[in-house]
Amino acid sequence: MHVHNLPAEPFAAPRGADRGSSDRQPVVVARHVTKTYGRTRALTGVDLEVRAGEVLGLVGHNGAGKSTLMRVLAGLEACDEGTVTVGGRETSGEAGPRAAEFRGVRMAYQETSLCPDLTVAENIWVSSRHCLPRLRWRRAAGDAVRRRLGEMFPGHGVTSGDRIEDLSLAQRQMVEIARASLVDRLDLLILDEPTESLGPDAARSLYDYVRRLTAGGVAVLLISHRIREILSVADRVAVLRDGAVIADRPAAGLGEHDVLALMGAQVADRAGSGPAAAAAGEPADRPVMAELRGATGSGLHDVSVRVGAGEVVGLAGLAGQGQQEVLERLWRPARRDTKVHGSRAYVPGDRQRSGVLPLWTVAENLIVTAMRGIARHGLRRPAEERAAVGSWVERLSIRGGPDAAMTELSGGNQQKVIVARAFASAADLVLLDDPFRGVDVHTKTDLYRLIRHEAAQGRSVVWYSSENAEMAHCDRVYVFRAGRVVAELAGEEISEEQIIAVSFAESDGEPGGPPAESGGEPGGPSAESHDTRNRPSAEPDGARNRPDGARNRSDGAQSHE
Amino acid sequence: MSELLAPALPALPTRARMRRTAPAVVSAVAMIIMIAVCASLQPDVLTVAGLSLVLSATVPLVIAAQAQMTLMSVGDIDLGIGNFVGLVTVVSATTLVSSPATGALILLALVAAYAVLGALIHLRRVPSLIATLGASFVWLGLGLFALPTPGGTTPEWLASFGTWQPAGFPAPLLPILAVAAVVYLLTSRSTLGVRMRGLGSNPVALERAGLRPLASRVIAYATAGALGVLSGLVLASQTGGGDVSSASSYSLMTVAAVILGGGSFHGGSAVPWGVAVGGVTLGLVSVVLSLLDVPTNMQSAVQGVIVLAVLAGRVVVGKVLR
Repeated sequence: MHVHNLPAEPFAAPRGADRGSSDRQPVVVARHVTKTYGRTRALTGVDLEVRAGEVLGLVGHNGAGKSTLMRVLAGLEACDEGTVTVGGRETSGEAGPRAAEFRGVRMAYQETSLCPDLTVAENIWVSSRHCLPRLRWRRAAGDAVRRRLGEMFPGHGVTSGDRIEDLSLAQRQMVEIARASLVDRLDLLILDEPTESLGPDAARSLYDYVRRLTAGGVAVLLISHRIREILSVADRVAVLRDGAVIADRPAAGLGEHDVLALMGAQVADRAGSGPAAAAAGEPADRPVMAELRGATGSGLHDVSVRVGAGEVVGLAGLAGQGQQEVLERLWRPARRDTKVHGSRAYVPGDRQRSGVLPLWTVAENLIVTAMRGIARHGLRRPAEERAAVGSWVERLSIRGGPDAAMTELSGGNQQKVIVARAFASAADLVLLDDPFRGVDVHTKTDLYRLIRHEAAQGRSVVWYSSENAEMAHCDRVYVFRAGRVVAELAGEEISEEQIIAVSFAESDGEPGGPPAESGGEPGGPSAESHDTRNRPSAEPDGARNRPDGARNRSDGAQSHE
Repeated sequence: MSELLAPALPALPTRARMRRTAPAVVSAVAMIIMIAVCASLQPDVLTVAGLSLVLSATVPLVIAAQAQMTLMSVGDIDLGIGNFVGLVTVVSATTLVSSPATGALILLALVAAYAVLGALIHLRRVPSLIATLGASFVWLGLGLFALPTPGGTTPEWLASFGTWQPAGFPAPLLPILAVAAVVYLLTSRSTLGVRMRGLGSNPVALERAGLRPLASRVIAYATAGALGVLSGLVLASQTGGGDVSSASSYSLMTVAAVILGGGSFHGGSAVPWGVAVGGVTLGLVSVVLSLLDVPTNMQSAVQGVIVLAVLAGRVVVGKVLR
């Protein structure tokens, strides 16, 4: 019962001695679990088994019930019907954070559950106090977290006296994962989007550690939007859809498209809605809507970008290579090298921080930009506003309707409102700042269609995305590296493989190759990523230590297989 | 004054730590400037007796500010602390003299009342601002009921503490430092403090970890109540009587002291040493203004301007260190 014993425990005493065989002990079993919030049935009867010594990948689009299921499995909430069995014991009806049965089930949250004002050691006390001595707990917690972080993320750069608010996003995620894993007896570790803000090196060492954990008999439940990552790490993949597990397959032999199809995605067919459909042939003939000519300074080097009327222009490449600076210049064309004709609207990527007005309703959130255009002599016209809102809510099938409170909506629906806000205005040029991160496939497909439709009406869209696959919906794509445009792709040339190839072309001269494997330095501390992110650096490290480096790395790895 | 700051200064001054201690440092600089101004006008200020005289007026304010800081660390604000301190002076000037046992019980009941107030605020989800403002009128009413006009006497032991004059160091430093040390141990070093600051910082995380936010809040309010009682007793020992409205300005002065000391309205941080500096700084302002012969009618306005200037300094330093 001492944290000093913790780190060695899963390896020292392998509980899953019979691992390898198919009859591993189930750690947590859910049977016919349902959960209803108000009118929405979040879980409609889930059957799921997590066995000792395996990594179970859980996928499903937003709103499929993933987070609810996690809360039930972690014992934070009781289910309405059905049973949850932990370690062979059926749990009592009233689960709660204090339920003793769930002591061995630990969860690392995507948005972290750390107190930003407390130090790392104090946060460890909050979540692992049962295993800490009453006296000198601070030192014990600090030692334990230091050792665990060292095992999980070598070169993390975190000390136990640091306050969480002073750590970078990646470091916070590392502490969160280490926090979840620190308990005297770990049965099941739930990782919710663990690599979303980790660099590629950190992601790799995390998964190395996950494999060591499972070798010691611990079960790991991995949730991620990155299906390729799940497929490469998990032993088994469960697909959640409309509140139920609809498929449970071994990961071996499963392809990305199979999983997407199971999730209910009409896999965005590039041929249909892609650039080929939009007359991308004659970009030179279009009137110019906005233009950057040799823009230099504040992270850009001699960048020339041209946006024609009715054109969808993509800004691609690894994250933080100057794409957002281009959007910023187009949004506030203050310098002489930037020319923008017409009005603009901006869709921020971080909807929590800069997009949503949480106290307002959907209708108010949607119409706030267009309001001035609709108003006459400075007075609002409610009837016209309602009509506009109604048509947008219907067009994007925003759940809850115009009068729902913004915070009642799921993330994907909130994002729809934010995007609709921009398009509902009369703006000629719409700037998208990676708005679809963490949005489910359904919503994305709706929004892609919207973008193409609005472009066909003559509007111009400049779209920065960290997901290279999305670029297939653009007419033209500028690929950025270290504040420069390294390639301009149009029409048929646009493909994920091509973008990755040019994104990495300079760094390792091996298009499509996994960059993390090119430089032989394993200890590149990903903790430094935060400092280098906004500085366009010539060396590849600056690029690789970004979350999207992780994506691209797995992409690259995939194409190698 | 260096011993006052020593615990606040970090062993390894990282940029983040410097940023956090900067407000207290700015306040300390302001404090030293004010003492220097006092000394240039009245050289006797720098003697032990002079410092005692100058500092003694700040002691109840500093202790009340520690109470305010405790509540601000859980993310609440107490607008009733001024009248509460006043009520304590009334109790100590009346019941505590006539029947000490009953008086002590009443003081304990007042601490319990604070704990109940905290529980109500938590369970009913009332904004602390409203609840404590309402409570402040209750304290005022009780005080006026017990002692309609200022007066009464203080118990002997309390009065002798008020006139205690040790040789070698200014007496008021002792309660200031002792209370700051106790509050530091409680809010910054103990697990109770982790619970309180965790509540102010991220209540969701606390709940997920299975800790009861209600318990954290009740502990914080009980602590604040106890510190409020202590502040009232010290004030009574200095004034030699009870007056329910003698400390009504504390409600907002203590908030200013916490902000001067580096606290924030968001909750989550505890800065007992900074609050000690901030409280003394704030208390010294009126001393300086009296020595400068600023007309009494103008003092409040000038005091406000000085507080704003120190806060502006804090903002500037914070920007530079970002």
